[in-house]
Amino acid sequence: MKRRTFLAGLAAVPVAGCGLSGTSNTSSSATGQVTGEITFQTWSLKPKYTDYVNGVIDAFQKQHQGTTVKWVDQPADGYLAKVMADASAGSLPDVINVPPDLSFPLAKAGQLVNLDESLKDAKPEYLDNAWQAFEIPGKGGCYGFPWYLNTGPIFYNKALFTQAGLDPDKPPTNFKELETQALQLAQKKIAILGQTPSIADFGLYGVKLFENEKFTFNEAKGVEFVESYKRMYDAGALIPEALTQNYTGAGAKFMAQQTALNPGSAYDLGKFKTDAPSLYANIGISTPITNTGSANMFLHGMSVPKSSKNQATALAFGRFATNAENQVKFAKLASIFPSTSKGGDDPYFTTEDGTDEARVRVAAAKQLKTAVNYTPVQFSDQMREALLQQLADAMLGKKSPKQALDDAVAECNRLLK
Amino acid sequence: MTHRPYTPWLFLAPGLAICSLFVIFPFLNMIVLAFTDASALGGGQFTGVDNFVRMVQDPKFWAAARNSGLYMVGVVPPLVLLPLLIAMLVQKVVPGIGIFRTAFFTPVIASTVVVGLIWTWLLDSRGLVNNVVEALGGTRIGFLTDSTLLLISSMVVTVWRGLGYYMVIYLAALANVPKDLHEAAMVDGAGPVRRFWSVTVPSLRPTMVLVGALSAVNGFRVFSEIYLLSGGSGGPGGASTTLVMLIQSVGRGLTGEVGYASALSVVLFVILLGLLLVTLKLNRREDQL
Repeated sequence: MKRRTFLAGLAAVPVAGCGLSGTSNTSSSATGQVTGEITFQTWSLKPKYTDYVNGVIDAFQKQHQGTTVKWVDQPADGYLAKVMADASAGSLPDVINVPPDLSFPLAKAGQLVNLDESLKDAKPEYLDNAWQAFEIPGKGGCYGFPWYLNTGPIFYNKALFTQAGLDPDKPPTNFKELETQALQLAQKKIAILGQTPSIADFGLYGVKLFENEKFTFNEAKGVEFVESYKRMYDAGALIPEALTQNYTGAGAKFMAQQTALNPGSAYDLGKFKTDAPSLYANIGISTPITNTGSANMFLHGMSVPKSSKNQATALAFGRFATNAENQVKFAKLASIFPSTSKGGDDPYFTTEDGTDEARVRVAAAKQLKTAVNYTPVQFSDQMREALLQQLADAMLGKKSPKQALDDAVAECNRLLK
Repeated sequence: MTHRPYTPWLFLAPGLAICSLFVIFPFLNMIVLAFTDASALGGGQFTGVDNFVRMVQDPKFWAAARNSGLYMVGVVPPLVLLPLLIAMLVQKVVPGIGIFRTAFFTPVIASTVVVGLIWTWLLDSRGLVNNVVEALGGTRIGFLTDSTLLLISSMVVTVWRGLGYYMVIYLAALANVPKDLHEAAMVDGAGPVRRFWSVTVPSLRPTMVLVGALSAVNGFRVFSEIYLLSGGSGGPGGASTTLVMLIQSVGRGLTGEVGYASALSVVLFVILLGLLLVTLKLNRREDQL
C-alpha cells in the first residue's frame, strides 16, 4: 500500500502545476494625482541600458516630486511566463514593456487601460502606424504607448552570390526575383534561406492576412507564395533545418555562412562585425524583399494594467518614458528607432556619415515612414507553431500547399475563439 | 519515555506544508481545470468531458502519445542493461578507476541546455558527425530534420545522459551481492557469462525493476531532449512531438488553452500511474515464483 502511494506521487509530480486562480481588477483612477510609487518592468535592458533607464526615471521623479519609480528588469527568457503569472494573479507591474502581440490578449481580457479614453490627447504624439499596432483591430482603443521600433534591411553574402554567378550588387528586391536567384544559387548547392515564411512574409508578399475577424492567408495569393517556397525547397534553396527553425536559428545559419540571405536589423550589423568578421567582409545590404512597397516593422510598447493602484502616475510615466526626447536618446544608444511623430526628424536618422551603420540607419528610418507591422496582433505563439508545422508538411510534400494553408488557417481561427 | 501525540506531526508539518502547497494543491487544481475551458487569463467555464472528447479526436494527441510510447520502448532496454555493464566494469578497485566513474557520471550533472546544444552541434546537417560522414564519402544524414531520426537521436542523448545515474544505483546494488554466491558458482565451474546470468542478474532483479520503472517514466515524459534538438519545434511538421511537449505547446503563453493542457496532463498522469502499477505487479509476481 505504501509503495503504491509512493508510486502515485512519483507519477503525479511531473504533471501537476498548471494551477490558476481568477484575476481581479481593482482599478484606480486614471485622472488622479501624479504621486506615489509605481513599478516599471522592462524586457531585458539590464545591464546594457541601466544608465539610460535610470536617467529617465530620475528625470521623471524630478519633474513629478513625490513620485518613486521602482524599476524591475526581467530577462528575455521567461518574460512571457512572468507576465502570464502576474496577469493570472492580477498583480502586473504598474507599467509593463510589451510588444503588441503580448498586449493584445491582455487588452482583450480587459486587463489594460485604454489610452484613447484615459489620455485623449496622446495619440498625435506618436506615429499613426505605431499607435495602430496597439489597437484591437475592429474594436478600437489603444492599449500601449508605442515605444521603440525596428525595421531592417536584408543582409546577403556577396561571396556566395558571386560563386553562383549572380551579380553581387543586384540582390532580390521582390519575391519573384528571390525565387529566380534562389534557384540559381541552389544549382551551386548554396541555400539562400534558413527558414520557411513567417506570417509577416505572407503580408510582404501581398497576401490578405486577416479580415472580418478571421484569418484569410489561405487565399490564392497565399497558396502561390507557398508554391514558390516549395519549388525553392525542392531545389535545395532552403537548408534542411528551415522546416523547424525560428528567426534566431536562421540568423545563426546566416552568420555561419550556410545561407546566402537573411533579413536583419541595424543591430545585426554590429554583431556581424564582432562575431563573424569573414562574413562582414562580404556583407551586402539591401532593401527588404517586398511585393507591397512597404517594409515590415517590429515594435515594443508600454502598457498600464487596470489593476495598477496608481494609474495616474503609471500613465504619466509611460507617456514621459516614450516621449520624443527620451526615445531619441534611447535610439542613439540601441540601434532602434523612435515611434514618436517628431523623433525621426533628428539628424541622426537623416544624415549619413559614410559608415555602413549610418547607411543602414538612415535607410531604415526612411523605410519606417511607410512600414507596416504585418504580424496581426491576434497571431499567437500557438498560431505561429501551427503555420510552421503546416508549411513543413507542404515542403515535404505530405500536403499540397493549398491543403496546408487551409489547415493552418482553420487551426488559427479555432485558436482565435 | 512518553511523548505528546502531536509531536510527530510537528516534525512532519514543514514537509507536509510544502508538499501540500507545491504538489497536492496544484495537482488537485489541475484535475479541476481539466474539466473547464480555462485560459491563462481566466478561470474558465465548466465544460464537462469536452476536453477529453476533443483529445480522442485530436490527431496531435495520438501522434504525441505514440511518440512518447516509442521513446519509452526505445530507451528502457539500453538504460536497464548498459549501466549494469558499465557498473560491473568500474566496480573493480584498480588505480585510476575513479576517473572512469566520474567520466560516466559527468553527463548527469551537466546542464540539460548545454548537453542539448552540444548534441545539436554534433548532429546538425553541417555538424561534426555529418562532416565525418561526408568526408568518408557518404551523404549527409538528417539527424535533426527527419522526424524518425530526430526521435532516435533524442533517445541516444537520453541514454547517454542516464548511464551515469543508473550506474551509481547498480554500483550500490552490486556491493550488496554476496561474494560467496560468486565463489560457490566458480567452484561449480561457472564462467563469467554464466555467473552474470545466474548470480548477478537474479540478485539485482529488484534494482533492475526499479531502474526499468524510473527510466520508463522518464522516457514517457521526455521533453528537454526533443525540445532542444528540434529547436522547440517538435521536428518538421511537429511530427516528433511528445506528450509533454504537446502539453507545453497547448498551455503556454497568454493565449494558452490551460483547460485542455490540464486534461492532457491528467491523461499523462493516468498512463504513468498505470505503467508503474504494471511494473510493480510484474515484480511481485516474480517474487512469488
